[in-house]
Amino acid sequence: MYPEKLEKFLMKVQKPGRYTGGELNSIVKDKGSVGISYAFCFPDTYEIGMSHLGMKIIYGLVNSREDARCERVFAPDVDMEEIMRENGIELYALESGEPVKDFDIIGFTMQYELSYTNLLNMLDLAGLPVRSADRHALTPIVVAGGTCVCNFEPMADFVDLTLLGDGEEVTMELIDLLKEYKAKGAGKEEFLRAASRIPGVYVPSLYDVSYNGDGTVKAIEPKDGAPEKVVKRNVADLDKMYSPESFVVPFLETVFDRTTVEIFRGCIRGCRFCQAGFINRPLREKSPAEVERQCRAICNATGYDEISLCSLSTSDYRGLEELLTSMLPWANENQINVALPSLRADNFPKELMEQLNTVRRSGLTFAPEAGTQRLRDVINKNITEKEVLSTCAQAFEGGWTAVKLYFMIGLPTETPEDIAGIAALAQAVVEEYYHCDNKPKGKGVNVSISLASFVPKPFTPFQWEAQDRPETLIEKQAFLMENVKSRKITVSRHVPRTSFLEGVFARGDRRLCDVIETAWRNGCKFDSWEEHLKFDTWMQSFEKCGIDPYFYTARKRDFDEILPYDHMDFGVTKEFLKRENKRAHDGLTTPSCREKCSGCGAAKLNGGVCNELRQAMV
Amino acid sequence: MNFVRLWYKKSGLAVYTSHLDMNRCFTRAVRRAGIPLWYTEGFNPHPYLTFLLPLPLGTAGEREPVDIRTLEDISPEEIKARLNAVLPGGVEIVDVTEAKDKANAVESALYEIKAEFNSSEDAAEFALKAESIVKTGVLEAEKRSKKGIKTVNLCEFILDFDARADENTAVLTAVLATGTQNNLAANLLEETLEKAAGVEPEKCSLTRKTIYKADRAVFE
Repeated sequence: MYPEKLEKFLMKVQKPGRYTGGELNSIVKDKGSVGISYAFCFPDTYEIGMSHLGMKIIYGLVNSREDARCERVFAPDVDMEEIMRENGIELYALESGEPVKDFDIIGFTMQYELSYTNLLNMLDLAGLPVRSADRHALTPIVVAGGTCVCNFEPMADFVDLTLLGDGEEVTMELIDLLKEYKAKGAGKEEFLRAASRIPGVYVPSLYDVSYNGDGTVKAIEPKDGAPEKVVKRNVADLDKMYSPESFVVPFLETVFDRTTVEIFRGCIRGCRFCQAGFINRPLREKSPAEVERQCRAICNATGYDEISLCSLSTSDYRGLEELLTSMLPWANENQINVALPSLRADNFPKELMEQLNTVRRSGLTFAPEAGTQRLRDVINKNITEKEVLSTCAQAFEGGWTAVKLYFMIGLPTETPEDIAGIAALAQAVVEEYYHCDNKPKGKGVNVSISLASFVPKPFTPFQWEAQDRPETLIEKQAFLMENVKSRKITVSRHVPRTSFLEGVFARGDRRLCDVIETAWRNGCKFDSWEEHLKFDTWMQSFEKCGIDPYFYTARKRDFDEILPYDHMDFGVTKEFLKRENKRAHDGLTTPSCREKCSGCGAAKLNGGVCNELRQAMV
Repeated sequence: MNFVRLWYKKSGLAVYTSHLDMNRCFTRAVRRAGIPLWYTEGFNPHPYLTFLLPLPLGTAGEREPVDIRTLEDISPEEIKARLNAVLPGGVEIVDVTEAKDKANAVESALYEIKAEFNSSEDAAEFALKAESIVKTGVLEAEKRSKKGIKTVNLCEFILDFDARADENTAVLTAVLATGTQNNLAANLLEETLEKAAGVEPEKCSLTRKTIYKADRAVFE
């Protein structure tokens, strides 16, 4: 429900259904009767946020407690924001319409560096000071979780604490603690000190950071008993963990409007550019029976006719064949489409492909990431051209005519041959189609290349590497275009400027807080939306704060440099990442976790593939 | 196969749902209700579910028709009960009947426009002005169609019009041309009248009350 004041403006904004609440399966609790209120904030618009699985999990989990309620909050689009600011309407939560600033916990999920200004903007729209130090009361406590918090130093001054790793258990522990401290009338500092004792909770204000003359970090010192290293949380057994069996069903169409069920967390592959593959280790699977049960429950509760099985690498799921064999007849009978994103090219059985084909045909996507075998070895993407081609041939015989290939430019050690190799691989796929005897009659093939720019990320073997400057990336993009000769191949490119900002914040430190605040105060928000990105304002903000952004992107770091996030512990050790970096430069691949343990360090977190291996040894 | 006409009421928060989104909303509701629908047999099969008349975003409806084809013979009472158990707030099935009239039989519909003001004087003034504007027989507005924007005289589409004030609310009751041939959306009429009268109400609600075929006979 929205605040009454808003009603007369609803018909003046685009898609008013984003602001009304009242969707099917939304949980509206009586405000007075529950102890802790949690405003789950997604720092982007409704359509994007409502597609996010993490929100659905935390929403259901917190609402499963009798002593807590969770409500949803999204960033209002610019037209709505203008109306809210003009008419003094504060940011509200969708279930009750209550102002966000009246909640006990305001939790942001941070998936992307370019949504940082939206966090500030939402706090401001809620009528709260953006800086943690300026919010003196115990509540609301502003917390953040999600991928970006593995290095949230550029946002350290704004949030009160972050939650590292899997959010399910630690969110519940935080609510328990806040309930206790609220009841005894404790102050904010006292609470934050206590919260820092919860494993996985990072309180930035309890750490002093000093810098060397050359701008690198000199030391990170904890105080008031905060731990030297904050270890991420890891849910060991996904089958036993809460998983939602009902989703809020939006009235309006969202980005991913479907049933999404996680099949495993983590990844065994260790592609060296992939942050998710390292910070979510070890791999932990859900059992096929549990996955199917959840799929059926959510479809029944929502009426969705599409299921997306979600993971970092679907075909690595050991239960895939069992799951699909059991689930597809039911799905087909009920006209439910099963989508398998993140499929690897090298190990997808043909029979399953045929079964998947029976309801509706979705696109086929592969991610070779690099154009030559040499560079694929460097990044440890263990796919060969032959495998890509043979899987495509299989797909063409199965009736597919469109293939999407994901690549990156700007990878470490990249040469012009590697970029030309991207066009060559796409061309080989086109030719494979015309050589295929059983290709669909009377149809052409469409190979689309999606070209991203490499951004070195924390907790990956490439965290020490230099990132290409935007102008270099533009040249490389142009070079690729010259090499694409066929009209069957289309290329979509990312804007190097957004990758540049992403790179600054990914490996940035606390001195960037001022830059982010300055940029936001000068109108930067929705930076990930090309039409909203104010790049010049960003560059002026860096200048105003006396910060050289290329210090963070274009500089190759030494192995012994103290990194701004060295006090975060995601299981994988720095020693392992160094080893992997050296292997990359030597062109050596590293086997997957299931083939051979490479001693990354995540085994100490317990569970999943590490235990599989241990049991196998006994 | 059974042809069934559902009649739904759209009110409350559901009013902010667009026509396309209502389609999705119903498709899912029918699935949740476990009513097996007949699927089209084309390249991309989809359930047979047709809204006879789009209801513009922001307009409520008292009795709006949707046609479905079910694979099983389910009683109208059963369909109504099952759907109402799973529909979101603001959308309610009020009746389930056979599809008597063809969609193109629709000629007009009865609308109620309620404009709320801060004072009864303002409400009375708007009602009076609206009445006299419509009486002149000329009320021009830009209308968007597939062929582009053109200026039309809205009065040509107004078949009946009455305006009165009820305390702070101006209540306009109008029968407007509705359907594929001639159509006037109540929100366009209301916005144009607001502009012509130079007023801005605090709140405004629009409701389609009854759908008619020729000679003001109720569409069934």
